[in-house]
Amino acid sequence: MRNAKLPISWEMLAVAAALLYPLVPAVDDFLFRLTHWRFGFVMPTIFILAILALALNVVVGYAGLLHLGIAGFFGIGAYVTGILTVPAYPFGCSFWLAVLASTLVATAFGIVLSAPLLRLRGDYFALVTLGFGLAVMYSIRNLEEITAGTKSLNPVPPPELLPPFGQLFEAVGWGTDWASEYRLFYYLTLAFLLGTILLLRNLERSSLGRAWVALREDELAATCMGLNAARLKLAAFALSAALAGMAGSLYAIKLGSTADPLAYDFNRSVTMLCCLILGGLGNRNGVLLGVALILGYDNLLAPILDDVQRALGEQSGWKKIVLYPFTLLMSTKGKLMMFGLVLILMMRYRPEGLLPSSRVREEMHEGDPAPHTLPRKE
Amino acid sequence: MALLEVQQLRAGYGPIEVLKGISLQVDKGEIVAIIGANGAGKTTTLMTLSGIVPVRGGSILFDGQDITRLPAYQIVSRGLAQSPEGRKIFPRLTVLENLEMGAFTRNDPQGVQADIEKAYHYFPILKQRAKQAGGTLSGGEQQMLAIARALMSRPKLLLLDEPSLGLAPMIVLKIFEVIRELNRDGVAVLLVEQNARMALKLAHRGYVLETGSITMSDRAETMLNDPRVKAAYLGE
Repeated sequence: MRNAKLPISWEMLAVAAALLYPLVPAVDDFLFRLTHWRFGFVMPTIFILAILALALNVVVGYAGLLHLGIAGFFGIGAYVTGILTVPAYPFGCSFWLAVLASTLVATAFGIVLSAPLLRLRGDYFALVTLGFGLAVMYSIRNLEEITAGTKSLNPVPPPELLPPFGQLFEAVGWGTDWASEYRLFYYLTLAFLLGTILLLRNLERSSLGRAWVALREDELAATCMGLNAARLKLAAFALSAALAGMAGSLYAIKLGSTADPLAYDFNRSVTMLCCLILGGLGNRNGVLLGVALILGYDNLLAPILDDVQRALGEQSGWKKIVLYPFTLLMSTKGKLMMFGLVLILMMRYRPEGLLPSSRVREEMHEGDPAPHTLPRKE
Repeated sequence: MALLEVQQLRAGYGPIEVLKGISLQVDKGEIVAIIGANGAGKTTTLMTLSGIVPVRGGSILFDGQDITRLPAYQIVSRGLAQSPEGRKIFPRLTVLENLEMGAFTRNDPQGVQADIEKAYHYFPILKQRAKQAGGTLSGGEQQMLAIARALMSRPKLLLLDEPSLGLAPMIVLKIFEVIRELNRDGVAVLLVEQNARMALKLAHRGYVLETGSITMSDRAETMLNDPRVKAAYLGE
């Protein structure tokens, strides 16, 4: 328990850095000169996907159920927002209404899917969620009359600035155009992410959070304590669907379109799961670290290395010989291989993730001075 | 007056019928022991009473109400709690959190706090271990925690499944002493045990369960002296 205060200060530091980043334009400009990428434009996408990862963590990390179809709820959220806002449909809803509706519709899907799911355990549960995710993706792609198929629904209009913010931004000399002023989406998505984090933090400390842990540890014992296992799983699944739907809605708004249906395929679900596993299943901060590493790499570092590699390709000499293979491996071309390698090494040496929750760590290392329980009698 | 009244209860798993119509009764303030060999259906009996194994026939009356078809979580809030076999504490929750889980069905924080103090009174060692993970406790301490946790729902009837399992005789004596104390404080106890002698010494009445049927029931003292019980279960 040395320095028990440290994690809190790290947390605060990260939040402060995220809040201050756009206020110091020099940082963004410096990174731009260095990499020719505007970090501020990419960060909102990462914030949105961090919400998605936290949503997945509710089911996988807290309740201990393997969920392979989170992208399905993400897609539902995106397309509900698309339908409610694009000019091709007559609704023309405002931003807030669209986010709310997407959240609610995704929740409803989550509850309906729970009905068959809650009867299943383990592998079977995972398979049904996998099937659901694929079904959503193929439905989006093939219901062209509703979703415009691979053409996607667009343009999804940007949010209207609420009056005080619009004037505030003008007063400090920022633009109010969502396409050119990155700070708008940056703060909007950061606010949603921080809201999600606060919600989950309170939930973890509530009796509901503890009940999920108990359920994961021993369902029989939890049932003997009077926990309603079915209702608890339903709550986890519905909350996860709600947050994923909200993230999907923000994603569509940020992109200005519902994106290609492939954005909601199995790959998305698995990538999110990898973030959880790399960072630390069940631990909020761990999940966020996993998102920062994997999605930061995927969305920022790999494209930057693509540029570097292209530039190196035109050169010759020692620089090319030494650096070219390295950048090739780390760039978009080699990234899946790197990714696989890192996961294999993680599973071998640190299966509990980089920042594990103390409870999961004990589950993963059986040989350690571990919980001593009586072997089962049968 | 009967607190628990079980009539012709049948239950099983898949094609196997484990309980073939058992009837038993627990009165208020009583300790009742069910003894029997491996596979007789002792654990199944408790699991069926708790609503975890579904009832196939017969009826369960608890505190004047029919609980035969109620789901497990409702049965707990009616005042029937079980401390399951093999303890089944939550190894990665702290001792205090384990106790709080036991009070999951309640929403009177002051009452729960008072009952945690009461649990510490019955088992002082748990207070010392309050912040420790449940899994780091010794076997005897885990058993104490399991019983204390079951008590946290303020049960009228406590079901105990093999509280002596795998414990040193000294520890068993200590735990049984607390069970007696609990009982004096007004909790009825239905105890399932392979350690027949200890169980019958503690209990007021006993039942013998053999391959899914009750074959004998009597006052515990009488059973301790019964030649058939002596031969089959007391090793004399």
